[in-house]
Amino acid sequence: MKTNILKVITVAVASIVFAVLLLLFCDFAGWMQDFPDLARIQFIPALLRGSIIAVVSLILMTFIFGRLYCSIICPFGILQDIISWFTRRGKKKNRRRLWFRYAKPQNILRYSILALCIISLLSGTTALISHLDPYSNFGRIATNLFRPVAVVLNNIVSNVGEKFHNYDIYHVTLHTHEIVSITFAASVLAAVAVMSLMRGRLFCNTICPVGSLLGLISKYSLFKITINQEHCTGCGLCEKACKAQCISSKNKHVDGSRCVACFNCLDRCRENGVKYRLSIPFHKVPAVARPSIADRAGRRDFLATGVAVAATLPFVHTLAANRHNGIIDETKLTPITPPGSISLEHFKKHCTACHLCITHCPQQILKPAKFNFGFSYLLKPHLVFYEMAYCNYGCTVCSEICPNGAIHRLTSEEKQVTQIGIAEFDQSRCVVFTDNTSCGACSEHCPTQAVHMVDYKDGLTIPHVLPEICIGCGACESICPVIPVKAINVRANEVHKIAEKPVDEEQKAVNQEDLDFGF
Amino acid sequence: MKRREFIRTAAAVGAAAISFDKLQAAVNSSTVAIETAPDLVAVMGGEPAQMLERGLKELGGISKFVKNGHNVVIKPNIGWDKAPEMAANTNPELIRALVEQCFKAGAKKVTVFDHTCDNWQKCYENSGIKAAAEAAGAVLAPGNDESYYKEVNIPDGVQLKSAKIHRSLLEADVWFNVPVLKNHGGAKMSIAMKNYMGIVWDRKYFHANDLQQCIADLCLFHKKPALNIIDAYRCMRKNGPQGRSLSDTSLLKALIVSSDIVAADTAAVGLFNQVETMDIKEVGHIAIGENFRLGTQNLGKLNVKRIKLN
Repeated sequence: MKTNILKVITVAVASIVFAVLLLLFCDFAGWMQDFPDLARIQFIPALLRGSIIAVVSLILMTFIFGRLYCSIICPFGILQDIISWFTRRGKKKNRRRLWFRYAKPQNILRYSILALCIISLLSGTTALISHLDPYSNFGRIATNLFRPVAVVLNNIVSNVGEKFHNYDIYHVTLHTHEIVSITFAASVLAAVAVMSLMRGRLFCNTICPVGSLLGLISKYSLFKITINQEHCTGCGLCEKACKAQCISSKNKHVDGSRCVACFNCLDRCRENGVKYRLSIPFHKVPAVARPSIADRAGRRDFLATGVAVAATLPFVHTLAANRHNGIIDETKLTPITPPGSISLEHFKKHCTACHLCITHCPQQILKPAKFNFGFSYLLKPHLVFYEMAYCNYGCTVCSEICPNGAIHRLTSEEKQVTQIGIAEFDQSRCVVFTDNTSCGACSEHCPTQAVHMVDYKDGLTIPHVLPEICIGCGACESICPVIPVKAINVRANEVHKIAEKPVDEEQKAVNQEDLDFGF
Repeated sequence: MKRREFIRTAAAVGAAAISFDKLQAAVNSSTVAIETAPDLVAVMGGEPAQMLERGLKELGGISKFVKNGHNVVIKPNIGWDKAPEMAANTNPELIRALVEQCFKAGAKKVTVFDHTCDNWQKCYENSGIKAAAEAAGAVLAPGNDESYYKEVNIPDGVQLKSAKIHRSLLEADVWFNVPVLKNHGGAKMSIAMKNYMGIVWDRKYFHANDLQQCIADLCLFHKKPALNIIDAYRCMRKNGPQGRSLSDTSLLKALIVSSDIVAADTAAVGLFNQVETMDIKEVGHIAIGENFRLGTQNLGKLNVKRIKLN
């Protein structure tokens, strides 16, 4: 038996890429923080970030080798391969004789989706691409479904470690769960699982805008899978192995726009007629025969899946609403976007809700939005301050990890003056006012002392906000003991501003010689 | 007081055979060779490790508190993601020295933790305490997760009847309360009593239910620290507990050690007043602590030792 060396290499590379990306998205301890590179070379993030080098390289790679991207770089594609591996469909030896067979390209569908994605991106919203981008979908699935599992496993290990006085693996509690986000991720995973189990790379060749775009290039790629017309006996063995369903043994033709360069077909041909080789682009291709009725079944499958996913939406919608026991915090009607995101508009233009920042925020304050900020903000991260968690003063992790350029890189110093919102104090709810007791938790936690305590009465002090030095980190809001709506709340700046630096006073030197104990 | 009484009795019984009268006279005039340990020691003018060593020596050495095989917990203030010179956290050199002392006395293990306000990893790291404590052989335990805490009753608490307290502290044979001397926006001062707030999980309850009372209530927790070691090497004069810049701090090069938490805080407020005015009456939890008989504000009643190193 000959070794399919190309296949071995692609599977090896794909496994590594997938493992790294999976770790990147399941991380809960900052271990992978310095390795976001594989996220940064994903097509949509690179495009939105405006990285010409990355985009041109990917296009060039596709032009030379075909849609290798879909086989070894795209985690969503690899995920589908892993799922379909379980049924061994298309494998040489599968007992249930599950084979793939040629399907007609869904050109109208896939190019319409691609066109819609391009139009919506140009019109300044990622609302559509967010839900179709393979990388972002993978990110959401890993973050919302796989990461909690990783945390549970971690906590089992940490409990054992603690018995031995070891805290290298420490207990973690996740606060980033959002039922809407989990529902979406689970629905997408279920849909793509069904698609990949039945039809291999159906998603990649009908829905995925990246797949469609790269398909336009791979059609003319320098290296491609070819069938030797003279050797071919039309036995169909190669077709049976093709998860992209793009080999028609009847017509002895491979549809290069849909071939994802998985090389599964290479070692199937008994006549040695299937080859991955250099072939001159724009060479004439034989006409493709009209598909039989049976081939159209795929369209029905697809429509059924689509309808099923759409049907879950009303259910999901009822779960959305930003309420605390019926009382609405009116400062949270617009989302607080991460520091470095420049403005709500910029953020909406660039973020595809891959949830990488949500995974890596050490404070777990980045949470996926529900429907409360509209469809265009659905699942995108926004800052939610909860008990003892707020945006750490010098922390810039989200800005370093974002692959999309939605959150621009900030230095610690820049971050410390980036005003993402402003705290608003409501005295009528403050415990100093209502209970006449000391508190000052807000001021205590304020890193800039924008919230400071001023004299109130009977020796008590009450908070006061200096908006010009407030950066909206939410420390005050997070610790405020008033429930359900806090007495101090951050209202988002739709356009981030630069806060003034707190004024430093002269350092007061103490003369050690004169210093006395004082008691 | 117990220690002094014990030494007196032991010495008296042992020496009775020789000459009871002579000894009695000696004890009364305090000139006896077996000197009684002070109730509170304040050291000034040295480096943290040096001052700690001297302070402990005056109290009879670390081995009076840490025994062979002991499981020791050190509770510094590591609340903030700030560099050591900001005085927002306990001085790392002091922690290093204390860990070393504990091991010297035969401690089996030494655990350091705090329930931080800022992100715990950044606090442990940037305070310098992680590096210093680990270098001396201690283990840093996280305090970031509710699973590390266990409910404990505080029967005599007025506002705080129970609290979730860090398990490492509950399991310890002996613990040291090692705060830094700081001004504090809410509680007025953050010293030894206020440092207790880092051993509990739910701090918000304190703020919602009379902060000063809750701090004192928590100090009723049955397991008292062997010593309160107040780091006043650098103190935070204002804008506490975080501080904004170096101008909020003053270099005092001082250390206060006592098992009497009220006395320790009282002395620390006195020291604080050398650089910034603070009326001790405003620091409500100290007076409540005295009413709880946790100690005395009347330093005149105590045997206080003041040492200036040069």
